[in-house]
Amino acid sequence: MKPLMLHGHERSITQIKYNRDGDLLFSSAKDNHPCVWYSVNGERLGTYEGHQGVVWAIDVDWETKRFMSGAGDNMLMIWDVQTGKALGKIEAKTSVRTCNFSYSGNMALYSTDSTMGNPSEIFIIDVRTVDSSFSENDPILRIPLTNAPKATSMVWGNLDEVVISGHDNGDLAQWDLRTGKKNNLVSEHAKSINDMQLSKDGALLITASKDCTAKLFNAETLECLKTYKTERPVNSAAISPIMDHVVLGGGQDAMDVTTTSTRVGKFDARFFHLVFEEEFARVKGHFGPINSLAFHPDGKTYASGGEDGYVRLNQFDQSYFDFKFDY
Amino acid sequence: MARRKENDRAQQNNDDSDSNPNDELEDEPNFDDPEGYEDDISEEDLIGDLIRQRPKETDGVESIVVIDGVPQVGTERIEKLQNVLRKLFQKFGKITNEYYPLNADGSTKGHVFIEYSNANEALEVLKGTNGYKFDKNHTFTVNLLTDFEKYNDILDKWENPIPQPFKEQGCLQYYLLDQDACDQFSVVYEQGDKVAVYLNTQPEPSLLEERPRWTETLVRWSPLGTYLATFHAKGIALWGGEKFQQIVRFSHPGVQFIDFSPCEKYLVSFSPLADSRATDEPQAIIIWDVLSGLKRRAFNADKSQALPIFKWSHDDKYFARMGIDMLSVYETPSFGLLDKKSIKVQGIRDFAWSPTDNTIAYWVGEEKDTPARVTLLELPSRNEVRVKNLFSVADCKMYWQKSGDYLCVKVDRYAKLRKDKSDIKYSGIYYNLEVFHMREKQIPVDSVEIKETIQAFAWEPVGTKFAVIHGEPPSTSVSFFEVKTGQTPTMVKKYERKPCNQLYWAPSGQFIVLAGLRAMSGTLEFVDTHDFTVMNTGEHFMATDVEWDPTGRYVATAVSWWGHKVDNAYWLWSFQGRILKRVALDKFCQLQWRPRPPSLLPAQQIKDIKKSLKKFSAQFEVKDRLKMTKASKELVEKRRKLMQEYEDLRKQKQEEYDAQRRRRIELRNNVDTDETEGRGGELEEETVEFFIKEETTFIDE
Repeated sequence: MKPLMLHGHERSITQIKYNRDGDLLFSSAKDNHPCVWYSVNGERLGTYEGHQGVVWAIDVDWETKRFMSGAGDNMLMIWDVQTGKALGKIEAKTSVRTCNFSYSGNMALYSTDSTMGNPSEIFIIDVRTVDSSFSENDPILRIPLTNAPKATSMVWGNLDEVVISGHDNGDLAQWDLRTGKKNNLVSEHAKSINDMQLSKDGALLITASKDCTAKLFNAETLECLKTYKTERPVNSAAISPIMDHVVLGGGQDAMDVTTTSTRVGKFDARFFHLVFEEEFARVKGHFGPINSLAFHPDGKTYASGGEDGYVRLNQFDQSYFDFKFDY
Repeated sequence: MARRKENDRAQQNNDDSDSNPNDELEDEPNFDDPEGYEDDISEEDLIGDLIRQRPKETDGVESIVVIDGVPQVGTERIEKLQNVLRKLFQKFGKITNEYYPLNADGSTKGHVFIEYSNANEALEVLKGTNGYKFDKNHTFTVNLLTDFEKYNDILDKWENPIPQPFKEQGCLQYYLLDQDACDQFSVVYEQGDKVAVYLNTQPEPSLLEERPRWTETLVRWSPLGTYLATFHAKGIALWGGEKFQQIVRFSHPGVQFIDFSPCEKYLVSFSPLADSRATDEPQAIIIWDVLSGLKRRAFNADKSQALPIFKWSHDDKYFARMGIDMLSVYETPSFGLLDKKSIKVQGIRDFAWSPTDNTIAYWVGEEKDTPARVTLLELPSRNEVRVKNLFSVADCKMYWQKSGDYLCVKVDRYAKLRKDKSDIKYSGIYYNLEVFHMREKQIPVDSVEIKETIQAFAWEPVGTKFAVIHGEPPSTSVSFFEVKTGQTPTMVKKYERKPCNQLYWAPSGQFIVLAGLRAMSGTLEFVDTHDFTVMNTGEHFMATDVEWDPTGRYVATAVSWWGHKVDNAYWLWSFQGRILKRVALDKFCQLQWRPRPPSLLPAQQIKDIKKSLKKFSAQFEVKDRLKMTKASKELVEKRRKLMQEYEDLRKQKQEEYDAQRRRRIELRNNVDTDETEGRGGELEEETVEFFIKEETTFIDE
């Protein structure tokens, strides 16, 4: 089926996310306005106005009431999804690279970049009440990554008891929130981890790395289970909620892309079997690297956002569901 | 001498201090030795380092040369002789000393000693004047003085060298015994750090050998496939046998190019930077005997010559090299010039051996009033079996058909010629293909004219067809011509607008791959020239190389790191253009099929086999099918195992998930979100209106 092309951003897409119901799709880009769309027809509902810099990360809570965005203007903002009003904001010392609501929606985490002499830091904050005095509250936990590689991607784990951070040297660390200590560290990737996503039940974690691979981990033990190999840096990877499939997106780094042919860049979304690590399909379309991927919660659609500024909503054909590996 | 003086001075100083106590500084305690003291320190202990540097009588001997064969003259003419000789020998360096031994009557003895300022100059003299013809009756024989000593010391008694024990090398041709006649290929990757040899079994090639740092640059198979040559800074190594053990080594520092003779008897190695000045032997090109590993002959190289410098005849009997206005043919195993002299060919531009006969084709350019011509020269008789004159020739390229039946000369001809000082500018270039029918009487020549630029030309290796790519890219065309006895070549097929730049015939003919490599982004077209059906088209994006396996069953395409820095990989195709395997390797450089020697079966037997191919093909198909099912069974087995492992993990996770259900609900304000689609029980009906289409209709009143 012809994909829906969402062209509401003026610059490259940084992250896209579905809400839990799957009726809405949120997207952020290097322009300063995160957008929300109807996932069913690609109509834009609105934008969240207020950031002064590149919006690096977004998240929406499970009730689709609050929307959170972290940006290059050193701001973390929490919005009312429905009205688009900013409920509260926190100013960090450096740009906010990641932000995630916890499972319960009562807590959130965000992490900052290491620039201008400030280390990369991970913050856990209470978001039960968000109002104008929100920024004065102390964080529940603050983990400075002094003299350590910066956090490039984060997820919550084990029902709000731990957080998992991916770093720009390829390390994967798990932090216990009760003690505030690192309780596990694995170095499976050779280069920066660009994205991490959990499976629907939170048991599996997929990482996308610049070292041209995506890897599947046991989210509890951080044991590496599978490796999906490509020839290009992987910017994002997602696990299908209904099939044993994963999708990888990436491509030649924007700065290395040749101007002669888009085929050299390999900007396809690539589908691998989760267990067999075998590639079985590719979807073309983007003319720049894919920066973010997300499965619709019903597993029948997936969305990709690229360096080219487009978000594409692809609905799977029947043949996708009919295809079976022999075993 | 300077050292000597220092020595003396040191000695003197010692003496001084011994004899004269310090007069000026009387306050100083007296360090003088008591009267009559004699030190027991030997000179060796005191100034051993200086003594060791003391010049010996024999120092400088290596810079003396001895010249024999000098005319014997009486006293009255000595001076004249000396003047003449000085003039000659001064050219090579500074003469520091000369000595003319005299007879009792004052006449010279006929040999002269000349000392130069250093040994290198003496070596130069040796090279320059040994064998110098001084006059009709006198030829110089020049030797280094040190050589006399060297050769005097040789023992009179000859000791037979001890025979080396025979080393079993195993069967070097073992790869031909493979039951399914699978071919081997070598792969160089990781920028040359790793070399692997695979056997092209179906459906998966199997690894035979992999070694890190096997070579420093690339590898080469010998033409019959017996050896694998690896390149090293110090020389070449040949490997062979089932375990790829080292067979022989050739020491040639800085070697960069090698060339085997067609029957693998000899190896030519070329080291472009080798400096031959240090020794009197040429160093740049060395011809080795492959079996014994011995050096056969060495040559100097001209800087400008195109590779290969030496071209071999098909049977290893002769090898030839082109010089200015001459063609030097050498014979084996003597490695001397054939008939002791080169063949004079005024204005020779290029030459090529026939792949099956001892015939050389060469061409000479136009000069004033004489036209350009192509000559076929038979060796060793030096008979010119055919000469073809050609007019208005800008350039020629000679292509022998692999079975030696035909020679095609591609002639670039001009309509107009403009001389611009030393530059010659041609305009209105058009092309002729001159086809020599080698197997017919008197070798008739046919010519085909092609108006467009010829991009590539290739003979069918076995058969009578040739293919030409012509036209300006990207709108090039491909034409196929057939050559028949007593007829001009006829065009049998023309593909218009076929963008490609290379032609790759299968080694056994009939099939051809039209490839658009590099700039043409790797398009491939597999054509059966029997009825000119395009069997398949494919693409290996940015492919740099195409290699047929020696049997013509498979084609490998490659993106080499040498040509393109990303997506280095090799792909294997069937001859019909069906993709079989894609192998991506980091910094993959080179793939080479292991060649096979020509079949030993008599022609009749091959014919019979071809006739009963149907019977065999049934057998092979059964075999292939068995292999495929086995392979797919293995794959399924593997998958089943993986799936089992995964299912176990899933089950465990599912149990954990179920156990956590209560907590999950607690965390989300007692809302059960496990069923994503419905929001627990309290589903709300919500109507969303979308703006789909706007239509304006005018209603008539």
